[in-house]
Amino acid sequence: MSGINITELDKVYDSGTENVVAVENLSVEINHGEFLVLVGPSGCGKSTTLRCLAGLEDVTDGSIRFGDNDVTDHRASERDVAMVFQNYALYPHMTVRGNIGFGLKLSTKLTGDEIEQKVESVAEMLGISKLLDEKPKALSGGQQQRVALGRAIVREPSVFLMDEPLSNLDAKLRSDMRTELQELQADLDVTTVYVTHDQTEAMAMGDRIAVMDGGVLQQVGPPEEVYRSPVNQFVADFIGSPSINLLSADVEGETLRGPGGFTYELDDPEPIAGHDRVRVGVRPEDITVVDSGQNTADVTVVEPMGNENFLYMEMDGHELTARVDPSIRPAEETQVSFDFREAALYLFDAQTGDALKTKTDNVDPAVVGATED
Amino acid sequence: MREQRRKDAVWRFLTYAFVITMVVVMMVPLYWMLVAATLPQEQFLQFPPRLIPGTAFLDNFAALQERLDFVRTIRNSVLIAVVYTLLSLVLCSMAGFAFAKYEFKFKEPIFYTILATLVLPIQLLVIPLFLLMAQLDWTNTFRAIILPWAANPIGIFLMRQNMKSIPDALLESARMDGATEFQIFYRIALPTMRSSLAALAIILFLFQWDLFLYPLVILETADMYTIPIGLAQLTGFQRIYYDQIMVAATLAIVPMVVLFLVLQKQFVSGILAGSLKE
Repeated sequence: MSGINITELDKVYDSGTENVVAVENLSVEINHGEFLVLVGPSGCGKSTTLRCLAGLEDVTDGSIRFGDNDVTDHRASERDVAMVFQNYALYPHMTVRGNIGFGLKLSTKLTGDEIEQKVESVAEMLGISKLLDEKPKALSGGQQQRVALGRAIVREPSVFLMDEPLSNLDAKLRSDMRTELQELQADLDVTTVYVTHDQTEAMAMGDRIAVMDGGVLQQVGPPEEVYRSPVNQFVADFIGSPSINLLSADVEGETLRGPGGFTYELDDPEPIAGHDRVRVGVRPEDITVVDSGQNTADVTVVEPMGNENFLYMEMDGHELTARVDPSIRPAEETQVSFDFREAALYLFDAQTGDALKTKTDNVDPAVVGATED
Repeated sequence: MREQRRKDAVWRFLTYAFVITMVVVMMVPLYWMLVAATLPQEQFLQFPPRLIPGTAFLDNFAALQERLDFVRTIRNSVLIAVVYTLLSLVLCSMAGFAFAKYEFKFKEPIFYTILATLVLPIQLLVIPLFLLMAQLDWTNTFRAIILPWAANPIGIFLMRQNMKSIPDALLESARMDGATEFQIFYRIALPTMRSSLAALAIILFLFQWDLFLYPLVILETADMYTIPIGLAQLTGFQRIYYDQIMVAATLAIVPMVVLFLVLQKQFVSGILAGSLKE
């Protein structure tokens, strides 16, 4: 049982003619028993990081410690980790029993009976006892998934690594398994690193989430913190569904002027001091449709979700999304006025993308959403 | 619609006619061999040829056995082919696995060099190989027949291509489970390659079974002869023992047929099905 300490990890692939940097100067500390989700778009280096943790890739520079153990140069089999692969990677010629027991057979001195017992208790925990004598090809996706999990759990490793384990399941099963995985992880109290490109999954599952882009760690923190206080425009854009609305605006004193006649006057112009131009971000849920106001947009599509409506709007070619009450359902092609509170506004540096102001600045999370303007 | 259906029927008829013709063309010599093996020499050469099996098979076999000790010849051939096939399967699958799944220096050049040896005909290799075997004092031994061809380039190529289809995740998963590289090869890769191994086994067995010129040069005494060499002994200057040749040829195909029937059930596709979620 241990936490994980990654220090200044670099991974560079030498493709002969050029070096490809997959992970750059990554440092993260993961506490014992924590569920950390690595999230980012494809090619961001999250899977490579996981593979470095697993011992399936050599690291170019930096170190990896599990507890007090420096495992940087250890082989996968010496690290006491178990990994669940995206496509499960079940051994096709073995039964479920054989698949789950394979690791124990190879890496422990347990007797056949002891292995059998462990396999059966894990199978029971996962509800696959009846499938123990089936081959993987006879199983459904969800069942294969459980076998892959069982294979990891049975070895009682000190670290779990999961590479998009739910991405091949259908939506319903995925959300069921999401909950189940979290419960399982909490029960087993094993440090877990979970890779996904799905930010919803990351938000829902992680004790903390680590957002990566272009091989560089952008931000690590609890999901709400990353959502409310992103360090830069990339994180703000990546986390949240539907995505944050972003547009460029010129700074004129205390006023922001954007495309399509967008204007917004700031009560507190301090964050934009010294900037001529900024990126403005507003989360869809913070946009309210008002009877009359300064800013207007044309409704293009209304998606009723049941408990809320998604309004897709256009403002001089710029798309805007709003999540509104189901009672608000403007006809398509009509013009609506919208507004938002300054407390909900995000501002980013137009050049670097660094956050100038985020939602949580000066805002008590408990108050947000409790009042309607 | 109707027109289309008639067209389809014509095509189907032509296809069947072609396939049946091909089958007949291929089966007639085989049938003739079987029939001839049961006929005394005089009837064999008569015209029009007799197409109904006779009763002289055992007589012909007794004559063959007396002339050649054909039982031992078959035993030699089986021994050589079986040992060769097993050895070569091991070597080819290991080499194929390495070329498919590992990165090492000069991997591509080495692989293409191995492939390039395919263009060398056996006839070209016979003399140098014979000299080598003579230096090793290995002439008239089975190991001289088996070892030079054990690392078979076709086998290596075939196994490499097939091993490439094994998902890396499967091997990595085994690595995480604590398997050594050899265990990964032996317990994960090989079992998923059963159909390819069966196909390769037939290719290798047949290669060694049919080998003629090289064993002819290496093997000196009659007690070491393999079937192709034994068969060649039946064609004398004075007389060709057709009846005995046909018996020998008939018996020579038996092990091949048995091997094929045994391995046939391994040719089930989809051995890898279910390992990965697509």
